[in-house]
Amino acid sequence: MPATSRRSSAAVGGSLLVALLVCARPAGAFTVTITAANPRTLYLQVGVGSFTGIYNSGGTPGSNATVNTVSVTVPAAQVGSGTAQTMTTNSTASNSFYDNYAFCNAPAQLYIGGFYRSTTNTGAATLTATSPASLVNGGGDTIPFTQIRWTSSGNGDTGAQPFPAGTFVGGVQTIGTISRNQWAESCHTFSYINSNFVAAGTYTGRVTYTLSSP
Amino acid sequence: MSTPVTRTLLVALLAAVGIAPVSAATFRVDDGASMPLESTTPLRWRQFAPSRSNDNVLEGAMTIAVRLNLAPWMNRNGRIFLVLPEQGTAPVRVSWLTQGRLLPGEISPGMRVLVYAGPVAGPILEETIALKIEADGTRLPGMQRLRFHFEIDTD
Repeated sequence: MPATSRRSSAAVGGSLLVALLVCARPAGAFTVTITAANPRTLYLQVGVGSFTGIYNSGGTPGSNATVNTVSVTVPAAQVGSGTAQTMTTNSTASNSFYDNYAFCNAPAQLYIGGFYRSTTNTGAATLTATSPASLVNGGGDTIPFTQIRWTSSGNGDTGAQPFPAGTFVGGVQTIGTISRNQWAESCHTFSYINSNFVAAGTYTGRVTYTLSSP
Repeated sequence: MSTPVTRTLLVALLAAVGIAPVSAATFRVDDGASMPLESTTPLRWRQFAPSRSNDNVLEGAMTIAVRLNLAPWMNRNGRIFLVLPEQGTAPVRVSWLTQGRLLPGEISPGMRVLVYAGPVAGPILEETIALKIEADGTRLPGMQRLRFHFEIDTD
């Protein structure tokens, strides 16, 4: 029966075809796994800082242990007069490592800037300042840290400063924030409010700035 | 006894068996023996600090030992493509260099890029490709897998 025989052949052929197609399927594609390394980067500069090159030409931030000083000498006749005394710094940092632009006017101003890099969408980095309750002289006399305030500006800036004007609180306070993947900078000009009549001496206190990411 | 229906079926099946291997078509290539030389590629910021031009690119590199089973298309002309299907991933751009057996190129999810055109001279094609991977650092959600495969178009 040729016809039956052909039907059988055709059926076998179809089954073979299916089987061959299954076997011919590829064993699988190759997979490349990627992940973000060092997804968070923080850089904070208060006063002088270190940077290899300029960031917008591929520069890399470094570490600088310098603690700058902001100071003023109040004339004896002015002590406690209520006339604010402008302070100066020993910082030499005028140019921004952002683009080498002369953003601040050292030594009158203190440069404060930094950046926050993150691959996660979890808000901004926060800059805080921690000041002691008082400045103290060698005799144990004190001046409240709340007697020191600052204004904020930047050469060429017209908008609001990321780290605006304020007054130390003698504790922890927020100075400003840096949005994700942004560089922020301001120049602070400090002054001593000079509303207290205090004993003669050199009064000192240290403020620590901290940049924290979420 | 052969009916017209039977004959038609027979012809159709024979045609399927006999013609498919020699007609122009696209096939997925068995690249199951290909493997990355590193398990994971860490991507790092291209610019350490944020840039004025808003460059938020992460980049990294990986080497792949490619081994393609081309035996089914021996002695035929074909065009081989690298395929990176859309996978709902963060924006990624992958470029690669080769040792000369395959073409260098660049690919993004959803693309199919020519890497070889010509006769298939041997059953196995081996190549080492150096991938450079770039991703948007603001949209890369931790670990992500890019699944590549190869296809061949035959004449």
